[in-house]
Amino acid sequence: MKTTKILSLAAVLTLGAGLACKKPEPAPKVDTAAEDAAKKAAAEKAAAEEAARLAAEKAAAEKAAAEKAAAEKAAAEKAAAEKAAAFKAAAEKVLVNIHYDFDKSDIKAADRATLQGIADFMKANANVKISIEGHCDERGTNEYNLALGNRRAAAALAYLKTLGVDEARFETISYGKEKPLCTEGNEKCWSENRRAEFKLKG
Amino acid sequence: MMKGLAARILLLCSTLGLWAQQPSEVVISATSGAKVVVGMAPVASTGLEDTLVAQEFTAVLQKDLDESGVFGMLRERTPATADAKAWSAAGADWLLIAKATRAGGGGFSLALQVLDARAEKGVFTKNYSAPAETFRTPGPMLRRTAHLVADDLVKTLTGERGVASTRMVFIRQVSPGVKELFQVDRDGANLIQLTSFGSLTLAPTVASDGRLAFVTYKGGTPEIWGQRKVNGPFERLYPNSKQEGLCFSPSWSPDGKRLAFVLGDRRGNADVMVLDLGSGRARRLTDGAGINTSPCWNPSGTQIAFTSDREGGPQIYLMQDDGSNLRPLTKEGAYNESPAWSPGGGKIAYVSRFEGKFDLFVYNLGEGKAYQITTGVSTSESPSWSPDERRLIFTSNRFGSMQLFTTDLSGKSIQRLSELGNCQSPKWTRSR
Repeated sequence: MKTTKILSLAAVLTLGAGLACKKPEPAPKVDTAAEDAAKKAAAEKAAAEEAARLAAEKAAAEKAAAEKAAAEKAAAEKAAAEKAAAFKAAAEKVLVNIHYDFDKSDIKAADRATLQGIADFMKANANVKISIEGHCDERGTNEYNLALGNRRAAAALAYLKTLGVDEARFETISYGKEKPLCTEGNEKCWSENRRAEFKLKG
Repeated sequence: MMKGLAARILLLCSTLGLWAQQPSEVVISATSGAKVVVGMAPVASTGLEDTLVAQEFTAVLQKDLDESGVFGMLRERTPATADAKAWSAAGADWLLIAKATRAGGGGFSLALQVLDARAEKGVFTKNYSAPAETFRTPGPMLRRTAHLVADDLVKTLTGERGVASTRMVFIRQVSPGVKELFQVDRDGANLIQLTSFGSLTLAPTVASDGRLAFVTYKGGTPEIWGQRKVNGPFERLYPNSKQEGLCFSPSWSPDGKRLAFVLGDRRGNADVMVLDLGSGRARRLTDGAGINTSPCWNPSGTQIAFTSDREGGPQIYLMQDDGSNLRPLTKEGAYNESPAWSPGGGKIAYVSRFEGKFDLFVYNLGEGKAYQITTGVSTSESPSWSPDERRLIFTSNRFGSMQLFTTDLSGKSIQRLSELGNCQSPKWTRSR
């Protein structure tokens, strides 16, 4: 585009010079002017080509840099995702339900290892906050079970506190008998529902 | 109410015409078996279809009167006109003459005349009306009017309003983990969903002016929400700020100015609190040891019945509304919960675990004695008194899912209110 303009300009200048002269001018002068114009055009063409080459090189470098950055970002994301997945897997392995006897909130001997695992996990992950949810089976009234679920969550909190975890890292909540895992009216189902659940917060 | 009835019952008098003038002196016993027979003259209607009137007014009124226990409606050999002599000859004690009009603009009125058919004398007249905007369709309007007529007839006869126009609010699970507040007429019709929070909504309570309060988990932790004004929006009533604890089990004081509720703390305790709506301040009434829950007020608002496990299993206690004068009510059985103080103040209904099942009991305060109402074929929970104190609404899983039932105080007349499943925490009210 640029080159074309320069060439047409040269042509116009040449034509104009021809029309303006009544007498033929000495040939060398004309030749020199034309030669200069051609040289200038060539130089300009070369400069333009050089600019284009540099632009292309710059673009290529930028593209390479972007690709490198993208690759690095992807790698970082992958690493973060892997880390998050590992954290999630570790959390899932650790944050399992504990269970209670009918109308009781005492921590059972069988659940001590679970609570120790939760305490260790929280010590290894200093930013983790957990919500402890207390639940009941369907027997008994809605209102008393809400209070009993609160007492169950509080019992789990008290035990975790004795294991050296700051209690400010826990929230407690009760769902009473309002969110059963199982809805059949038998002891297997009831014992499954009498539980505390541990959920990651935020 | 039963006591009140008994005091006022003299005998079934034949001079029925006197009753409108002196309704408190001549009262029929709901249990005597002698019922006043009501004849319903064909309803003269304008702007309403006769079939609709028959279905949504006459049939509804007939069912209400049958269920009132004190009236029966004449069904056979009914005269075609409003001639009192003919109705008296056919066996009617009272004759109802109704004229229903629906104006072009949608406004509704029903002029009712009640005659003593034998004496051909007026018992009472009343005009029932509703502006056009109250009901979108005539069916619900006729239905509501039938309930009001039935309650007025019962009031005229017994001195105490019937309960045909009363309603129930209750909680129903709409999907796992999602429970919403609903309302339904006493006869199971006119079901309305009142909340759509998409989370757990629990423990409704209805003030004497119809305002609702309940527990909602919509913000994560359970809070008390409700209406500060009649027909007002649902707003948070407590806590005023976060981190107060878990709020459960609200109960309006009879004057609607205070709310008893329960605050659960991080040590596992639950205490009865009383919130003053005017100042927003809540006062702790129990001492912080163990579980204290399910507060309910006596009708004069001076005492609170509640459940406490301070001596082992849950038992019902009474205290003054400032927490003083604490005393146990129930002593038998290991699990007594869900106290509901009767509207007359003389009885407390509750749930007791008996041989592994949960049943309704009524404690008669005057006698110092409890009576079993339901018997353990299934679980019966959450009793709430009818405004006339003659029945209790409760939930039972006798047909599988938890459904709404009512029972009389003998436990012999149990009726299923509707076929809706997954229901809980019903409250019977006249104020909505």
